[in-house]
Amino acid sequence: MTAGRDAHPAAGEGDRDRPAVQAIPFAAARRRVRDGARFCGLVAIPDQAGGGGGLGLFAITSDDGELAFEEHRPVDGAYATLTSDVPAADWYERRIHDLFGIEPVGRQRPEPLVFPVPPGARPPLAAGGDPSAALAPDPSPTPAHVHGEGVFTIPYGPVRSGVFESVEYLVETSGEDIPHLRTRIFYKHRGVDARFVGLDVDDGALLAEREEGPASVAHALAFSQAVERMAEAAVPVAAQLVRVVHAELERVANHLDTMVRHTEAAGQAVAYAVLSHHKERVQRLRARLCGSRFGRGVVVPGGVRRPPGLSPHGVLSEVGELQRRIDQDVQRLMDTPSFVDRLRGTGVLSSDDARRFAVVGPIGRASGEEEDVRMSRPYGAYERLGHRVARRVEGGDALARQRVRMDELDGSFHLVRQAVDMLAELGETGGWRAAIPPVSGRAVGWTEAAQGELLSVVEARDGRLAHVTQRSASFHNLAAYGSAFPKDIFTDVAFIEASFGLSIAGAAG
Amino acid sequence: MTGALLAAGLACMLAGVGVDLGLGTRSRVARIVPYLLGAAGSGCLLAVGVHATLSAPAMVDIAPLFDVGRGVLRVDALAGLFMTVLFGIAVAVSLCAASWAWPEVGRAHRRAAATGYLALLASVAVVVCAADAFVFLFAWEALTVSFYLLTSAQRGSAEAARAPWATVGIGKVSGACLLLGFLLLAGQTHSFTIAHWSAVRPGALHAVAWVLVVAGFAAKLGTVPFQVWIPVGYPAAPGPSRAAMAGIAANVGVYGLWRFLAVLGRPPVWLVVTVLLAGGVTAFLGILFAGVQSRLSRVVAYSSIEHAGIILVAYGVALTGLAVGSRDLQIVGLVAGSLQMVAHAVAKSTLFCSLAFVEADAGTDDLDALRGVARRLRWSGAAFGAGALALAGLPPTIGFVSEWFVLEALMQQFRLGGLALRLGLAGAGALVALTTGLAALAFLRVLALTFLGRPARSTTGSGEAGPLGRAGLAALGLGCLALAAATPWEVRFFALGLAPILPRGGVLQALKSPWVLQPVYHGFSILSPSWLWIVLPVACVAVLGMAALFSRGRYLRVRRVPAWRSATSGVAGASSYTAFGFANPLRHVLGNVLATQRTRQLQTAALTTSGDEGAELGVSGDVARTAHLESRTSVAEPFEAYLYRPAWKAVRTASDLARRLQSGSLNAYVAYMLVALVIALAVAAAMR
Amino acid sequence: MPWIPRGLREGIVTSPYPRRPDGYDPGFFGHVEVEPSVGDTAAARAAAGACPTGAITIAPHPGRVQLDRGRCILCGRCVDLAPGTFRADRGFETAAFRRAALVVPSGEPDDAELAEARAQLARRVRGLRRSVHVRHVDAGSDGSEEWEIAALTNPVYDVQRLGVFFTASPKHADLLLVTGLGSAGMGDPLRQTFDAMPEPKVVIAVGADAASGGMVGEGYAARGGVAGWVPVDVFVPGSPPSPFGVLHGIVAAVGLLGSRPREGAPDGAGVPGTPR
Repeated sequence: MTAGRDAHPAAGEGDRDRPAVQAIPFAAARRRVRDGARFCGLVAIPDQAGGGGGLGLFAITSDDGELAFEEHRPVDGAYATLTSDVPAADWYERRIHDLFGIEPVGRQRPEPLVFPVPPGARPPLAAGGDPSAALAPDPSPTPAHVHGEGVFTIPYGPVRSGVFESVEYLVETSGEDIPHLRTRIFYKHRGVDARFVGLDVDDGALLAEREEGPASVAHALAFSQAVERMAEAAVPVAAQLVRVVHAELERVANHLDTMVRHTEAAGQAVAYAVLSHHKERVQRLRARLCGSRFGRGVVVPGGVRRPPGLSPHGVLSEVGELQRRIDQDVQRLMDTPSFVDRLRGTGVLSSDDARRFAVVGPIGRASGEEEDVRMSRPYGAYERLGHRVARRVEGGDALARQRVRMDELDGSFHLVRQAVDMLAELGETGGWRAAIPPVSGRAVGWTEAAQGELLSVVEARDGRLAHVTQRSASFHNLAAYGSAFPKDIFTDVAFIEASFGLSIAGAAG
Repeated sequence: MTGALLAAGLACMLAGVGVDLGLGTRSRVARIVPYLLGAAGSGCLLAVGVHATLSAPAMVDIAPLFDVGRGVLRVDALAGLFMTVLFGIAVAVSLCAASWAWPEVGRAHRRAAATGYLALLASVAVVVCAADAFVFLFAWEALTVSFYLLTSAQRGSAEAARAPWATVGIGKVSGACLLLGFLLLAGQTHSFTIAHWSAVRPGALHAVAWVLVVAGFAAKLGTVPFQVWIPVGYPAAPGPSRAAMAGIAANVGVYGLWRFLAVLGRPPVWLVVTVLLAGGVTAFLGILFAGVQSRLSRVVAYSSIEHAGIILVAYGVALTGLAVGSRDLQIVGLVAGSLQMVAHAVAKSTLFCSLAFVEADAGTDDLDALRGVARRLRWSGAAFGAGALALAGLPPTIGFVSEWFVLEALMQQFRLGGLALRLGLAGAGALVALTTGLAALAFLRVLALTFLGRPARSTTGSGEAGPLGRAGLAALGLGCLALAAATPWEVRFFALGLAPILPRGGVLQALKSPWVLQPVYHGFSILSPSWLWIVLPVACVAVLGMAALFSRGRYLRVRRVPAWRSATSGVAGASSYTAFGFANPLRHVLGNVLATQRTRQLQTAALTTSGDEGAELGVSGDVARTAHLESRTSVAEPFEAYLYRPAWKAVRTASDLARRLQSGSLNAYVAYMLVALVIALAVAAAMR
Repeated sequence: MPWIPRGLREGIVTSPYPRRPDGYDPGFFGHVEVEPSVGDTAAARAAAGACPTGAITIAPHPGRVQLDRGRCILCGRCVDLAPGTFRADRGFETAAFRRAALVVPSGEPDDAELAEARAQLARRVRGLRRSVHVRHVDAGSDGSEEWEIAALTNPVYDVQRLGVFFTASPKHADLLLVTGLGSAGMGDPLRQTFDAMPEPKVVIAVGADAASGGMVGEGYAARGGVAGWVPVDVFVPGSPPSPFGVLHGIVAAVGLLGSRPREGAPDGAGVPGTPR
């Protein structure tokens, strides 16, 4: 279908004609983004998983908290690219091209992103493909993006110094500064989304947790909410509150993790020890609440698997103590000039770039993209809880992101305390879990993970999952990572990466 | 005897010129004979030099031989010292040049290149021996002509066209300064014999003469603001001739400075401070620009500027001594300068000679293209390594010893009273210290990233030197290293050679004991380069031995694994540090001095449709299918940008005006002449 | 510098493990224990059917129930469905020297073979006892194992006190911690990393993902564990294993346990089937 075009990149005339023949796809999405809506993603949903049928593309945009979907069905496996009007669609189009073989017309053959399919092989999720047949990605390098005197490429990864997830950053530089950085995430693409097909919804929640370990709760929650929306199930209030406790503690752990990595990069040994100890305390508290240090197995479609393992009073005193200590130590850290100087002005993501990539979560909030779906599209118990108004943070640098996270730590503790208070007031609960009948249909769920807005697009037939896309904030935000090095040099990379706080597992899928 | 040898040496040069001009460059024999004659002639002149130095303080007057009148050519100890150093090197360089000229491929053979080379050697000999202003100036201009012949040997590019222009231009400036200075001095003393000019009394004319003489010699040496010709001039010369220009001819500037120190007597203080600071700035700028060049010949050329600066600083110390009447300070400065001059001459010649073979082999002197060349060309690579270590100023090379001595000389500023001189010495000291650090960075870059790296392409090794060249390279390379061990003898030789300027006993004070150097003043600091040569290797062996011993042999059991690099699946294009990239931190940190300009531009090809990688590259909308970021980083020389370009523009404007003046009417001409006459009369009346 | 008094004020927070047992929180769910005596029951069958990774097998003949910890992701469903057979336990000393030994209760008590495997490993690591350099490679994890391994350097676990150091280059490493289910793209990098390590070297597969692929299992890009790419010496089950679990894997692998007799635990500690 596309071989001819690939062989002759100059054959652009035909390409340009194509959009004229068919209606321009995603016209509404393009218009909405132009008018200020935020692009949330582009999702491909095959009509039948693994079958030979067609496929629908859904452009998701968000305007004042309102999600909008626009479907387009590619003709002959191609559609007019959205990236020309919506730059943030770049990674999505590349991902869909890799996995489904759907060609965005009007751009150069997209550079492989999540899974470079070897020449001659069928994309794993393409019509007629077999998503369970082992396929080896083609690791051959793609041409450099930067040309010039003395320019060379430093491959940083996939096995990097330290305990990190596998990812390769290609720094194309003429030495020391970082004019351009590319991210190669295919190394750890696991094809998790494809593994949902055929599972029941309970197993689906367990798999969703494995999409992105540090955001296990958020993934299970987004997935469960999609299923609940499909089933029109009413989740018991108590369960909603418990979900808030787990989700917010997960946020606390993630934000502490970024701070720990900052202190490690800055060589602040004592601060590293102190903050990593705090993170360990949070993980242990989570384990005491549910048995898992990552809150796994707690959130299930319909509610939560079991009540917290600690009394409300116990949780309150633990959380109060934690907050007091973390507050003190983070404040002490922000009073340490040698630390703050390392973050200030480092890794500035301009508000223009943040806008262009529609960046979500703390990174977005540090660069002027303020949406927090806990408030703009409240879900579960968040509708009942009072939020702290987030402090406005300027700058878009690593320090601004650190400030946003400090603010969010406060907010999270505040939410946990409210939720636990309400749990205690509830007394007798109406159970922890609503029954989920065998569901059919299509629905979307969302949460604000520590990394940002997380979307779960779920399609089910008779209680079995037919398609799931867990659109992680890590995937969405990592596209902007290469733009965060305007004035930075190699030694800043560790700080900038830590301040993004993304999980490669979530990005690679 | 001396006269005969001198005549024989010059005759060899002349014969070489005849062979070159007569036979051209077609046959191998015709190509190498001139250089072999150059080697023979240099050998004769070396003998003259050694003899003259050792027989000091006797003066060899050889004028009668040429029958041009008494006192025209004479070889005293100072001339002997310089002839020994310069023609000792010239023998090795000539051998390299002969070896370089032997093969046909890879070399741009030009008629008159050998002529230029031999003319250069002959002019140097005559300048050093000249006792008379006319002979001196004649030889000085001949040197400029030889430079022209050498720098114009390669034609074809705009760069190549600029080289002879800049070289001759600055050469003319140098000659003009000397001519004016000499005329002033001759006018005062009514004599054209240089030695007689010591009778000039201090005063305004004396000061002007001082400035002109220093400027004239400094221009040849290549200090600010005259250094601009060096980075274009040296690389334009073919093969080992660059060594002759940098390692030999430039040092006649040093000779002139040394010679006139004794002739002119006490300099004005402001001149001393200017010399000190100009030297410091030269050294700093030279090494800074050497550090960011991407052509090896330009790296070495800029390093010559650095050395010119350091020598000028040492000269400034000697001038300081002269100005305040401290003989010891004069000695420290001149010994330091002489050591630096020898280091410069030997190391520069080594580098340019080995570079000739490297460039012939690789077809380019682009640093990134030369990667791993030491593995292909063993002899040239080894010689280059020795030279680069010397220029980096690392112990135990001659570069380390000389830079140590210069810094020690500058540290004597606490002995002075005047604030201006103290500040001048302190400022120069700071700049030289900075320079030595940058020198290590610059030459380790060349050595590690270029010469020792993994070979960039398949090996041919076709450019390696032949037996003669190997002998020359070995002599020069060993000179870079072993001369350091022989520093005490070098100082003793200086004591003889500097005798016409400084008392021999005073110079010998630089030796604390037979093997230990000190900066003349007793009890300040000491260094024994000879000992370094024993201690450093012994210490290395001892450490390795102890490690092997204490680990009970485990130290020697090596676990070998494949090279590791983050398990990448590879990248397109260059994937490791380029020499350009390694210098980039320097371009960042000293961006103000280097006037670093960085541009990043999205280049788009004609075939434009809509968004592609552009989204990732930072653009949306219409971008090309073959979009890429174009990254450029450039630097600009301050003197060129702020002095010569505006000056050149002014000259162009002035000449345009003059042309307008020229094409006037007859009446206008008559009017001009009338005006000129009136002005001349008025001036004459005022003078009276 | 306000940090130094701050650091001192905390006192000692470091765990005494492995010198003495650690009293880690009672709430933590470390592994699932199978009661061998109960056998085949309807509840056990229900549990086997509900297990999301198929980790529970019931042999038809003797009716023996076995749990493969290499597959178990600790969801706890079996414990809910068949509390008589399955018990949630808080111990973390579950590392095994062979993949088959992760299946509990073990088939035949082939202690001799197991002892031989241990002895071979002990011979290989004889030189490492006082200083072990560890390199970690993520071969397709979900990101949680990295958190738990990184936690080993926090003051609670503080592996440096045991002479265990994380190193940047595999050329300096003695021990390779591999996490993840073996994503197709990481096969070659993992192999390169392993090859770049000098002998003697030890490989520890961390997590159920690395042993079996865990919840994701196998697919076009998932290879169901890393054992096909590198020879694994020690398996640490868990999804993810706790930092103590990883630590136990390390100390078991390099014989730190064997070199220091521990109170309250038999010398066979860490060999599956002998939980405390």
